Amino acid sequence: MSVIEIKNLTKHYGKSRGVIDVNLEVAEGEIFGFIGPNGAGKSTTIRTLLGLIYPTSGSAKIFGKSCIEQPEVRKEVGYLPSEVFYYDNMRVIDLLKYSASFYKKDCSKRINELAEIMDLDLKKKIDDLSFGNKKKVGIVQGLLHEPKLIILDEPTSGLDPLMQHKFFDLIEQESKKGATVFFSSHILSEVQRLCSRVAFIKDGRVIKLEKMSDLRENNYKLIKVEAGSQLDKSFFAMPGASKLEVKGSSVSFLFKGDINKVVKKLAETSISNLLVEEPELEEIFMHYYAKEG
Amino acid sequence: MNMYLHELKSLRKSTIIWTCALIALAALYFSVYPGLVKDAADFKKLLGGYPAPLRAALGISLDNITSLLGFYAMVFSIITLGGAIQAMNLGVSILSKETRERTADFLLVKPVSRPAIVSAKLLAALTVLLATNVVYYAAALIVADMVKTADFSSTVFFMINSTLFFIQLMFLALGFVISMFFKKLKAVLPISLGVVFGFYIIGAIIATGKNDAERFISPFKYFDITYIINHASYEVPYLITGAVIVVTAIAASYVIYARKDIHAVS
Repeated sequence: MSVIEIKNLTKHYGKSRGVIDVNLEVAEGEIFGFIGPNGAGKSTTIRTLLGLIYPTSGSAKIFGKSCIEQPEVRKEVGYLPSEVFYYDNMRVIDLLKYSASFYKKDCSKRINELAEIMDLDLKKKIDDLSFGNKKKVGIVQGLLHEPKLIILDEPTSGLDPLMQHKFFDLIEQESKKGATVFFSSHILSEVQRLCSRVAFIKDGRVIKLEKMSDLRENNYKLIKVEAGSQLDKSFFAMPGASKLEVKGSSVSFLFKGDINKVVKKLAETSISNLLVEEPELEEIFMHYYAKEG
Repeated sequence: MNMYLHELKSLRKSTIIWTCALIALAALYFSVYPGLVKDAADFKKLLGGYPAPLRAALGISLDNITSLLGFYAMVFSIITLGGAIQAMNLGVSILSKETRERTADFLLVKPVSRPAIVSAKLLAALTVLLATNVVYYAAALIVADMVKTADFSSTVFFMINSTLFFIQLMFLALGFVISMFFKKLKAVLPISLGVVFGFYIIGAIIATGKNDAERFISPFKYFDITYIINHASYEVPYLITGAVIVVTAIAASYVIYARKDIHAVS
């Protein structure tokens, strides 16, 4: 059974677009990346999933249940919003205890563990915390009940690199324990490190859904060629090539498909240098959006 | 239960302040009562100089202004104004708190249904109002006993004070439903003050006309204290209208809140 099942999900805010016909399935134990620029519909999808907003049409289910009809299914969900706000006049520990009281199990041990990992002072007032420290409260708050599904909406903003590292370790541990992770971000490097599959969303539509390994290893090569003489731009214009850039005698492009074709093409001319690289995910990403836009 | 207790805790301070303020107001007015009784004739002459519509608007009834209950009727219109502001504030703020303080992403992703959230908050608000009324009533009774020059009916005194709770219930319910129509409610006070003073002024204007049908417009006029003093009972049509308003507004709040989109903070 899929942990997350989104079917033909459409959401309009009045006349403006939220998301259009989104279909996603996330299997148990997966770390799923959800990538898109700001305003693409990531948060809309997540909020519909959590039952915070109502779909215009289609459905979004967690563990086969809709959060709107069966709110108790949220017992298994830990959510970390991109911006965290809590009751300012509470102390951290009181907030965490209040949060734990919704799950009807003893979470105090886990709270202390997590606070130690994240280096969080439980006695402070939330009002007195910096943005980064509030985020840490959010992380502890989202994980204290050992949820089976962890939903992260741009989780790393406001965390320093060291804390980001600890946070990712934490997520990886939870994943090893069997938790499913749904991870939205516009920063690709963080997704690259953790996720097994990734969906790209743009202008409210999921435009691509791929396995991370496919995305990285099989599909795209970044090819840089230094030619002996000036090369015509059309020379490498073949099916599968994209982001073609010509600067004097050097050419670079992304290539997806049968690499032999490139080799044959290269044999037709004389070159002085050749580099074939794994592209950074960032470049593939930019490529998607540039092409669509 | 946890939500209920959480809300109560966060309302504790403001409730204490409101209760103290209402008691202080009543005590202040009562403190002039003994002096007023002494110079009853002069005082009546003074008030008699006011135009009748103004007297009606201020809730002053010349016939029994010098009796403790008659005097209290005048004081009480100020008390209900204060109480109405407290209740309206509470109603407008308590459900909109999650969007105002941007804690919706905390509370509304917990494994509880929206109606359960409304119930917990409603219950907390009712508890707060009830506590305010009980403490206020006890204090008012003590002060009234201290300043009285003749015995007064404690039943009628209780009935007058109970109207505070009824009026507060109406404004609480109104506050609940009004807060539902705002996507993002930034400030509570302007809305609650605006609505309460609006109804209060409408009530004052209506009072000068003495038209029974018009009295339905303002909750402040549902309970005519002079009528209560004279008949030791409430006017049933207004009581029923009040109940209908409360039930409708609360029911509508449940329905709207359950269907509401909770947007991301920005």
